[in-house]
Amino acid sequence: MTASTSVRPDAVGLPEGLPDDLASTSLALARRLHAGATMWCASPAWPHHAQHVAVEFVHPVIVGKPALPAVALPPIALTATARANARPGDVLLVIGPSDDAAIGDVLLRAPAWGVTTVWVGSGPRPAAGSADHVLWLPDDTNAAHDGRFILLYHLLWELAHVCLEHAGAGGELLAPAEACDGPVCITCSDEGRLAEVVRVSGTTARVRTADGSEDVDCTLVGPTSAYDLLVCHAGMAITRLVAT
Amino acid sequence: MSFLYPMLEQQQPDAATLLADLAASAQAKAVESGRVCAGALADGEERLERAAVAIAIALQAGGRLLCFGNGGSATDAAGLAALFASPHSGQAVAARSLAADPAVLTALANDIGVDAIFARQLIAHGRAGDIALGLSTSGGSANVLRAFAEGRRRGLLTVGLAGYGGGAMAAGPDLEHCLAVDAQSVHRTQEAQSAVAYALWQRVQAHLEETP
Repeated sequence: MTASTSVRPDAVGLPEGLPDDLASTSLALARRLHAGATMWCASPAWPHHAQHVAVEFVHPVIVGKPALPAVALPPIALTATARANARPGDVLLVIGPSDDAAIGDVLLRAPAWGVTTVWVGSGPRPAAGSADHVLWLPDDTNAAHDGRFILLYHLLWELAHVCLEHAGAGGELLAPAEACDGPVCITCSDEGRLAEVVRVSGTTARVRTADGSEDVDCTLVGPTSAYDLLVCHAGMAITRLVAT
Repeated sequence: MSFLYPMLEQQQPDAATLLADLAASAQAKAVESGRVCAGALADGEERLERAAVAIAIALQAGGRLLCFGNGGSATDAAGLAALFASPHSGQAVAARSLAADPAVLTALANDIGVDAIFARQLIAHGRAGDIALGLSTSGGSANVLRAFAEGRRRGLLTVGLAGYGGGAMAAGPDLEHCLAVDAQSVHRTQEAQSAVAYALWQRVQAHLEETP
């Protein structure tokens, strides 16, 4: 008997929407890298994929392309290693299924570190808002093994380089997207910011947010521990999302 | 390249034009990738089947699968070894990557030279009946070729995955099974190599199931 070689469902190209997702993710990545970001790569289930992304960016196979800072994080102690190394403005790219608990944990915390997130995977799609950018192959159940994930991060690399090389003579397309800069009263606004606890002193916690570190009052949420994930508003912790 | 990126012709591309060109380029490259993969699987079907039978027989006789390669091919070697040793379904067999341990790799590269990093490990671990499976996108990586020579000398089954029609790998005397793919770019070649490696695993699994 001869085993039949499975024909992948990709003969016609990428599923609807994915080319646009790749385009916008590539531009966002190019903007971050242009501003000095490091791209942290992680794949708890398939660590070799994270390493492949990192080597692709650091040592491009196409001669003459600039080396870019990308690093594969270890699959063990992923959140701790990412927390210690990531700086505001960095990028975290994860590769894995939507039910990967280690990926879920690190993606939940990344906004508190000021880190932009990209999630590459296949099968059931992650919940909306799980990552800033989602590059997904819903029907390719073997994508981790048959070259389809490799195709996605190859395309991300190729398109990011196109952005870096050709985004206007003065690099105007690489400028960060403009933030709303009108006068806003934080107390009156509904602002709720994600914060990760660094240390606790009585009812006050020193927390890390996308904007840096600050002290918040934890009276409303009760006893707090390091690495708890809080939502803060006007100097107060108002909700605990994750208890450590 | 400009046919893929019409905006490169413009002096001042705007973001919408850039994004539309990027999306179109991504789709065109994905179609090309699918075409190259399908072609590699169809053209190489007989060679793939012969290699799968030989690997299955070696594994059933107690052989171990030792995978190696450089850079992206090192990560492919790790992925292939993981697929064989801890598959999502089917039978797990002894398989590992010779590019996995930085202590061993740096010791060998530092003390002997990078050409010896895989061959030297085969001297230490390789037994007649094991399988030396090397990947090289160019087909010409010196340390992969040296490992094949060492493996052949020691009675290992030698299997190579290469791009560019096989390159020096296909021409050398040390390789019993050369699975080559042909594509214009390194990236499309690596994607097709991965598709071929996965098909190889599927076929080996089928043979292991047939003759338990």
